[in-house]
This record gives sequence, C-alpha cells and structure tokens, in this order.
Amino acid sequence: MEIRFSPAEEAFRAEARAWIEANKPRGPRPDDLRARRAYDCAWQRAMYEAGWAGIAWPKEYGGRGATLMEQLVWFEEYARAGAPDLSTLFVGLNHAGPTLIACGSAEQKAYHLPRILRGDVVWCQGFSEPNAGSDLAALQTRAVIDGDHLVVTGQKIWTSFGHVAEFQELLVRTDPEAPKHKGITWVICEMGLPGMEIRPIKTLAGNSDFCEVFYDGVRIPLGNVVGRLNDGWRVAMATLSFERGTAFIPEQVRLARRVEELAELARTVPGPRGQARAIDDDEVARRLATFRAEVAAMRAMTYRSLSLAARTGVPGAEASLIRLFFSELVQRIDALAMELLAGAGIAGDGPAGEWPERYLTGLSQTIGGGTKEIQRNIIGERLLGLPR
Amino acid sequence: MDLTLSPEQEAIRDAIRGVLMERSPLTRVRAVVAAEPGIDPDLWRVAGELSWLGLAAPEAAGGAGYGLPEAMLLFFELGRTLAPGPWLGTVLAAELGAPDAAAEVLAGRCRVAVIDDPADRLGAGVRLEGEARHVSDAGAADALLVLGARAVRWCPARAAGVAVDPAPSLDPTRRLARVTFAGAAAVGLDADAARLRLAATVLVAAEAVGVAERALELSVEYGKVRQQFGRPIGSFQAIKHRCADMAVRAEAARSLTVYAAVAVRDGEPDAAVAVHGAKALAGRAALANATDNVQNHGGMGYTWEADAHLYLKRAHLLEQTFGPRAAHLDALAAPWRAA
Repeated sequence: MEIRFSPAEEAFRAEARAWIEANKPRGPRPDDLRARRAYDCAWQRAMYEAGWAGIAWPKEYGGRGATLMEQLVWFEEYARAGAPDLSTLFVGLNHAGPTLIACGSAEQKAYHLPRILRGDVVWCQGFSEPNAGSDLAALQTRAVIDGDHLVVTGQKIWTSFGHVAEFQELLVRTDPEAPKHKGITWVICEMGLPGMEIRPIKTLAGNSDFCEVFYDGVRIPLGNVVGRLNDGWRVAMATLSFERGTAFIPEQVRLARRVEELAELARTVPGPRGQARAIDDDEVARRLATFRAEVAAMRAMTYRSLSLAARTGVPGAEASLIRLFFSELVQRIDALAMELLAGAGIAGDGPAGEWPERYLTGLSQTIGGGTKEIQRNIIGERLLGLPR
Repeated sequence: MDLTLSPEQEAIRDAIRGVLMERSPLTRVRAVVAAEPGIDPDLWRVAGELSWLGLAAPEAAGGAGYGLPEAMLLFFELGRTLAPGPWLGTVLAAELGAPDAAAEVLAGRCRVAVIDDPADRLGAGVRLEGEARHVSDAGAADALLVLGARAVRWCPARAAGVAVDPAPSLDPTRRLARVTFAGAAAVGLDADAARLRLAATVLVAAEAVGVAERALELSVEYGKVRQQFGRPIGSFQAIKHRCADMAVRAEAARSLTVYAAVAVRDGEPDAAVAVHGAKALAGRAALANATDNVQNHGGMGYTWEADAHLYLKRAHLLEQTFGPRAAHLDALAAPWRAA
C-alpha cells in the first residue's frame, strides 16, 4: 500500500502541470453556445498539437496512451489548474470515440477519430427517448433498410449540444420482432440531414444545453452502422469497458475545491442562529467538515478503484458506488450553500455568485447518465448479487 | 500509488479471517462473554503464536515488522467477528514495547487496555490520579496504556493505587470498566502521543469498517433467502436500495481508512485530516449499516437471538472510542473557524 506516486509519475505530473499552466485558456468560457463551441474546439486543438489530446486513447489512434496512473495525474493537474471541462466535446472524446475504437470499422476510425481528437467536430448522443429513459432498451425510434440506407423515423431527447453538433451516436430499432435488447443498432448520424428537426429544451436552470431531435424518414448510409445490425446494445455497452472512471476525476477535484469555497462563504455570511459568521455555528461547521471528509473519501475510493484496475486490468465494479456517492454529495454541498446564502440565494445577488445556478444544474447529477435509482439497482444486483 | 492489498497483505487478511471464522464464530463469542474472564484465552494464545499482536511491532523487538496498514487488516476482521478482548491496547503496546513485558504482550499473555486521555485528566506525568470511565476490556487486562496529550504511560493493572471496577456495557461482547487511579506509579514510554493517537484512531475506524461491512453482508445474505409475497425480499427496491446505500457508506469508510493508515505510516502532511475523516465516516457507516441491518431482518432483527443487535451495539461502543464523530468533525473544521 502506497499513496505516493512513482518518480516517473511525478515527472509526468510536473510536465503536465507546466504545460497546462502555460497553455490553458485565459478567458472565461462564453455562455453563447456557438462561441462556447469555438472556445472548446480551440482548446482541444491546442492540446492535440502538444500531444495531450485523448489522454486515455491508445497511441495507434492518435491518443496519448497514458497509463491509468498517468491519466489520474493528468486529470488531477487539469482540474487543479482550473482548465475547462470537456463540455461540448465530452460525447466525442469520452463516448463516441472510445466506441469507435472498440467497435468501428477501419474506415470509420480513419475518418472520425482524428477529427474528434483535433476538436474539429462536436458529437452528441441520441440514446434516450420520451418513453425510453431508465429503460433505455425500450427505445422505439425505427430504422428500416431501404437499399443501402437506413430510413429513420422517431424521436430522441436529452441530446446535449445537439444544435451545435456535426455527428450523433444514434441508437435505433432495426428489428421490432426481436427481444428488446437484440433489435437495436448503433449508427453514426450526420446532424442536419433532411427530415431532422432539432428543438432546444429549456432546463429548470434556464439554459438550453440540450435538445430533442425528431426524425422523419431520415436516410443514413448503411456504412454508418457501427458493429453489426441489431448488435447495437453490445456496442453501446462496449464503451463502458473502455471508460475506467478516470475522466470523472476532474469533477471530483473541482468538488473538493467547491467545499473549500463553501467554507470561505461560511466565513463571510451570517450564521443561522445570529452568529456573525456561519462557520461559528456548530451544525454548519460539522456539516462542512463532513463534506471535507467525504471528498477525501471519494478521492481515496477513486485511488483504490484505479489501483485495483491497474493491477487486474479490468475496471472495478466500485465505479458505480463512486458515481452514486459523488452525485448525492454534490447536491448536499449545493443545498448547504443555498441555506447559508439565505435571502441572497433566492435573489441571486450579494454573495450568491454561481451557487444558485450550480444548485439548480446539480439537480441533474442524480438523473443524467442513469438515475440514482438505476445506480442503486446496479449496485444491488451486479455488485451485491441481490435478485432482480 | 496503490491502495490495494498486496499478495502478502491478502495472505495476512485471509489467515486472520480463517482463524477467526473457525475459532471465534458468534456462537463461540456469545459463550465466551457469558463466562469469566470474558475473553477466550485460547484465541489470544493463537493470536500471539500467529504474530497478530505484533503485526506493527519491529522485528528486532520480536514483532512481525509490518506497519499500521497490516494492523488495520486485523481490526477489519475483529470488527467483522466481534472477537472479545482488549485488542487495541495490546496491539499499541506491542508496537511501543512494554517495559519488562514486551514478550508477554506479543505472546498474548499480557493483555493491555488503552485509556484515551487527551486532556490529561489523569495527570500529565508518571503519577496517575483520577477516574477513567467506560474503559473497554480493562477487567480482562493485565496492564493499562494511558495515552495523554503528550505522554504515554504504562501501568500494571494490579499496581498499588489502581482499581478496576466492572461497569455496565450496552455491548454484550465488549465489557466496560471504571478505572480509578489514586497516585498510581506509572512508567513513561518513549513514544509520540499524537502519532499514537492517530494510529489508535485508524484502528478503531478499521474495526468500525469491519462492522459496517459485516452488517451489509448479513443484510444481503438475508435478502437473498428470506421470502415474502413469493419473492426474496432483496428483490424489493426498498431493501435493495438500502443495501446499495450501505455499500456506499462501507466503501467510502474503508477507502479513507486505508488511505489514513498509509498516510500515518508515511508521516504524510494530510495524515491527520484523513484520520479524522476516516473515524467520522467509519463511525457513521457502522452505526447506520448496523441499524439498517436490524431493519432489514424485520422481526428477527429485533431479537436477542439474531446477531444484528451485536453489531449495532459494537458500533455504539466504537463511536465512543477515541472520539465521537462530532469531535473529529470539529477537528476538521478548526482551520476554517480560526479568525
């Protein structure tokens, strides 16, 4: 057991730290989606040219091919420096790209992977539907073969950045007679094809980062199918074996910093029982201290999970525990901020800063990417072996 | 960086678990605590022979030459099995080297109870005066290790000026005592009290992790076999999701405890933060999981016969050992509260 990193890993850390510090974007990320896209792509391009793009991607596909420990170090430094999160490029780099690496044809890889790595293109996801959320395999968007095309009709929802994307990873039903997991196909859909309509959805936080997408006889070349027809469920799951939880590290580092920011807030706003400073209230102080312990525990869990994966070569099942723990912790932290802000929290003025918006967007943490209820099912059934 | 068990550490863990499962199942624990002296001398002899007590003691002093992480493995297992006796004080004393009794301590023949006295209520020097309440297993101890703010003292339990009186204990598998010192002459040990307190706290946290994990396992096992409405109750989300929460608590507590043990061993600057966090989260995990385990067992969980209450009661004892959660949280918050 060892918590120190090796000299080689520390050398890698120094190199990563120096480069990120010297090259990270200086200005804030714009709110306007098109401007934000340009900002994300420019930063990705800079990382690409310096050889840092695709830190977890294999070298043969242009990635850095970093070891798990180097990925951990990179993402720690990345977040520590306050470098921007992947945002509009997330799906391409962490989802579509790894899926193509695992299941794509030589042509698909040769065309798409360099574009994703360079930050030339934005990808979005077309998985969820109005009637297929937690029960994703119930998806109904139909695709019928017509010559050398798939003709797609249906609707997708919760498609983040769909209105600024070039490509979509799309799950369609190609065999309605087969059992629900067997008749699904994973296909690359070019955005803006005839018959597609993209409508932004306004979230409870007031932004419109995601969309719903309608398909009415949209023709997609059969050559865009990734893997085999009707094998889309396996293709979608293959991504998970590539993703070992390192991409999630920056969020964790940021959360640790958020606790420190909240403590700083508690030193400036009055306490709930009339104290000059909220931090002088025992209950507030202990709730904050619990967060401090919990972010330390989350880091230790990630370290343990990664060192287990590094040793065995297979991703640890603990990832679902970390994910659930993280999502609820975010919400507890944001909720305490709202409590401490009192009137400023509801007015959004004074010391409120970004807390009200963080609080609202944080509500998605226990919904997106599998609700906390689904996460608990996964833990109960796959990790603990409880009956379905 | 590697927070997994090495093959050697796995072997240590497996060996301890195997012996405890064979020699100290809960039926045996119940029988042992119902009679005098309330511990199992045979188990203690075996623990001595297998070097459990000296896992963290230097080889030159007759120990196994490992460190705090390996001692932690023992306490994970002790928490799972509730094996009776003053393990904590004995392991700490074995690491320090007890005056004139080092070999006896390592062999499990001289058992040591530890008294946590961070405010020096018993005095700061070698003459001890005052009363320590709720001392675990002092009645079965041959010596006392008194851990003050800065000093660590060793005092034979039957020395002049020392009285050990049994006290009621919520936990049937861990006895409590009141220890009264009336000018007892102790021996000062050459030890870093602050570091020893961190090490002790890690070991208590580890025992709590063992309780939390065993409570989870018992719930899962029961959830698979207990049938109601024609289905195993573990298929109901009300039970399944509670078990998932138990798993999250246990994993968070275990990970931070492992981290803390290594940090204390290596003298890392964040060791104290990790230890306070580990004790706070492990204590909470043990209490919450043991409580949930009672509920998951339904009517059976409410009986004396079922084991669920034993884990809950041990969780309460551990919560009060080497600082309750509030004390550790206050330590974590202290830098923020400074002016």
